[in-house]
Amino acid sequence: MKNLEVLCCFFMASKKQGSATRALVVEDIKVDCVILLRILRQLNCEATVAHNGKEAVDLFLEGKTFDIIFFDKDMPLMNSPEAVTKIRSMGATEVKMVGVSADFGGMEAFMRAGADMFVPKPMKFETVDSMLQEVISKKNMSG
Amino acid sequence: MDYSNLWRQIFSMKKSLFDQGYLDEQYNQLEELQDDSSPNFVEEVVALFFKDSSRLLTNIEQALEKYPQDFYRLDSLVHQFKGSGSSIGALRMKNECSMFKAHCNDRNLEGCRRSLQKMKREHATLKQKLETYFQLLRQVGPRERAVNSRK
Repeated sequence: MKNLEVLCCFFMASKKQGSATRALVVEDIKVDCVILLRILRQLNCEATVAHNGKEAVDLFLEGKTFDIIFFDKDMPLMNSPEAVTKIRSMGATEVKMVGVSADFGGMEAFMRAGADMFVPKPMKFETVDSMLQEVISKKNMSG
Repeated sequence: MDYSNLWRQIFSMKKSLFDQGYLDEQYNQLEELQDDSSPNFVEEVVALFFKDSSRLLTNIEQALEKYPQDFYRLDSLVHQFKGSGSSIGALRMKNECSMFKAHCNDRNLEGCRRSLQKMKREHATLKQKLETYFQLLRQVGPRERAVNSRK
C-alpha cells in the first residue's frame, strides 16, 4: 500500500477537454482517505491530499486550483467548515465543495460555511461518479 | 486444485457475516474497488482499519477514565471510529458508535462505559472473523479470485 504521507497522487489523465478532473481530498482518517482516493483513481481523477483544513487553505494560497474538494468535517489544526469559509473568501467560488462526515450532524456547519453539498459516510462510488460528472459537464460548458 | 469446496466455504462465511449483521453493503462496495492492479485492496484497507481503530479504542478508554470526563472529546473520538467503521461496512460497530454518541450527548458515563465494552467485543469478533475469511481467500490466490469475481 502506498505511503499515505505522499501529498500528491497523479492518476490517469484526459477527459473530453484534455484535462483530468482535479480533486482535493481533505481527510486525516487514513482508511477513509485510501478508499476515496481509490474511487477517484477508478474515475480517472487527479487527486491531491491535505491532512487538515490548514493544509487545504495553504494549497490555495500557493495558487493551486481544484475542480472539486472533499472535506471531512473534523480535522486537526483547522476544521473543515472554517477552511471552506477561508477558501471561498479567497475568491474560489467555482470549485465544488463537498462536506463529508460520519453522520448528518455536520451538515449545517458545512452549508453555512459555503459548501455546495454534504454527504454522510461511507462515500459511495456512484455518488462520487455523479458529482464528478456534474463537474465535468460544467467544465465542458464553460469551455 | 479443486477450488469449489473452498469457494463454498468462502461464500458461506461471507453470507454469514452479512446475515448476522457484522457487515453491510459498503463491504461489497470495497470489493468492487479491488482489481488486478490492487488485488489485496480490501484486506489492506481492513488491516489499516483494525490498526487505527485499536489505537482509537485505547484513546476512548483513556478519555473515559479521565476526570472530569470530556464528553465533547469522547464524542469526537467515537465519531472518527464511526466514520471509518462505516467506510469498511462494519455495521454492528457503526451502530454501537451511534449508541455511544447518544450516551455522550446525555452525559451518561455508565452508558458510555457499557458501549465501549460492546464496541471492544464487536471489534475483536469482527477482526477474528475477517482474519479467518481472508485466510480462506488467500488460499485461492488473486488470479482465481479475479476469475471468480467475474462470475
